[in-house]
Amino acid sequence: GDSWGIFTFLCAALCNLPALPALNCSEELGAGQSIQQTYDLTRYLEHQLRTLAGTYLNYLGPPFNEPDFNPPRLARAERVPSATVDLDLWRGLTDNARLAANYRAYSRLLCYLRVLDGQVGTAELRHRLAHFCASLQGLVLSIGGVMSSLGYPLPVGPAGPPAPPGAPAAPNDFLKKMDDFWLLKELQTWLWRSAKDFNRLKKKVPPAVVTLRLEARGF
Amino acid sequence: DSHIQYERVGADVTMKCGSMDWDAAVTWTANGTDIDESRLNGSYLILKKVDLTQSGQYSCYEGSSWHLKYQTNLRVGTPPKEPVLMCRSNNYPKGFYCSWHLPTPTYIPNSFNISVIHGTKEMVCEKDAVPKNRCHIRYLQLFSTVKYKVTLTVTNALGKNFTTLTFDEFAIVKPDPPESVVAKPVPNNPRRLEVSWQNPSSWPDPESFPLKFFLRYRPLILDQWQHVELSDGTSHTITDAYAGKEYIIQVAAKDNDIGTWSDWSVAVHATPWTEEPKHLTTEAQITETTSASTSSFMAPPTTKICDKGAMVGSGAVAVCWTAGLVMAAYSVLFI
Repeated sequence: GDSWGIFTFLCAALCNLPALPALNCSEELGAGQSIQQTYDLTRYLEHQLRTLAGTYLNYLGPPFNEPDFNPPRLARAERVPSATVDLDLWRGLTDNARLAANYRAYSRLLCYLRVLDGQVGTAELRHRLAHFCASLQGLVLSIGGVMSSLGYPLPVGPAGPPAPPGAPAAPNDFLKKMDDFWLLKELQTWLWRSAKDFNRLKKKVPPAVVTLRLEARGF
Repeated sequence: DSHIQYERVGADVTMKCGSMDWDAAVTWTANGTDIDESRLNGSYLILKKVDLTQSGQYSCYEGSSWHLKYQTNLRVGTPPKEPVLMCRSNNYPKGFYCSWHLPTPTYIPNSFNISVIHGTKEMVCEKDAVPKNRCHIRYLQLFSTVKYKVTLTVTNALGKNFTTLTFDEFAIVKPDPPESVVAKPVPNNPRRLEVSWQNPSSWPDPESFPLKFFLRYRPLILDQWQHVELSDGTSHTITDAYAGKEYIIQVAAKDNDIGTWSDWSVAVHATPWTEEPKHLTTEAQITETTSASTSSFMAPPTTKICDKGAMVGSGAVAVCWTAGLVMAAYSVLFI
């Protein structure tokens, strides 16, 4: 999972430099190809999350693991970046904005997940979370790679602790579990959204970008 | 005065003749037919354990004057059972629709009320003119983490009932089946069939929300389907068809990432291309030109003997060839 993401990113970055001779990248990594691989990675993660979420919600216990559980959204849960967006706004996003939104969201979600990883009880859960975090890191790198290959600057995000200063930690055990529940829900929704985001990007990235890569490399 | 009266199946009904006294002399009719006095208790009409056949117009006439004193339209029915509700998005990401029906009829008029709640917001589900019992909603936001809760309440004069559905935006996505499915034989390829179709017209944005497809096919003579899943494109060539056999083919669609498969498309039938035996065509040409004048005896085209129903293989060719010769011989005799 993560090594694949790193590989993609490295190749995309290195293949951008015209000064280097043709590299040993096994595939032609134009932006189009990177987008396809990022899309594939989101699908893989979505699949992984299904197992992880099932295990984690069972660990949290009822009512969190009940299929009908539909709690109201508390204000505190809004710290986690939401995938929900107005339909027309989503359609009108520029490629840069679309990619940046994904990049920022997964970077933050990754931070939160890492905090979770430090807190959970069972070894199995820790193992699954660690594996998932590694894959999610690969996704962030992959998106970064796409942005670089298209010439977009990477969004500068908060590198510090996930909780913004001043926001209190959950006051009790139940609310802490609620936070975890919403984190997993947002992650799931983001992965569904990303599949659609990358579908749109796939169609919109012009083949000319790929040609430019070839010219730069074959000089 | 006339009005409508609703009663449950199996109930006991007592009808009073308006303001007439209990001991007044009256005559009751049901749909114009006199009712026997044994059913009366004074001037009251007693109907025990009513059934559906007893629905109708009941009238009460004063004994001597035959003045109409009271009229009622009795409708026997049942309170509604729990309705069946279904919600589906066949036009993602535009919105979704819900449709409903009662599992058993009530035999009396029912009214339906539907409410859709998304988080804290109440949304309006616009009723469709056609079909009835259906309403649609437009999504305002996409990629929502909050579930939708749809409650349908059905009410009639004898009672009410309701049902609720709770679902995520993604869970109810189910496209309509693919349209214009066409299957054609491929010339000079006895084991191929070319299938093509179109995206369902209700799917608004196949560019951003591509569909993937599932094709199934089998020869009519077998029960087992063969399946192919196709992640893009709206055509496929079957390359392992049994030569000369008629096939039945169907296609289904699904959003690439979310939701469930559509129902199967309308079935199309096709038979792979079969070779015309070359030597027979020459004989057939001779037969047809020489028997043109003998209209009473019409040699059927020799190819019909070697039709789809016939056996496959070299044995058939031998039979056809022989049959062709026989036909040619007969035709020559008749000139």
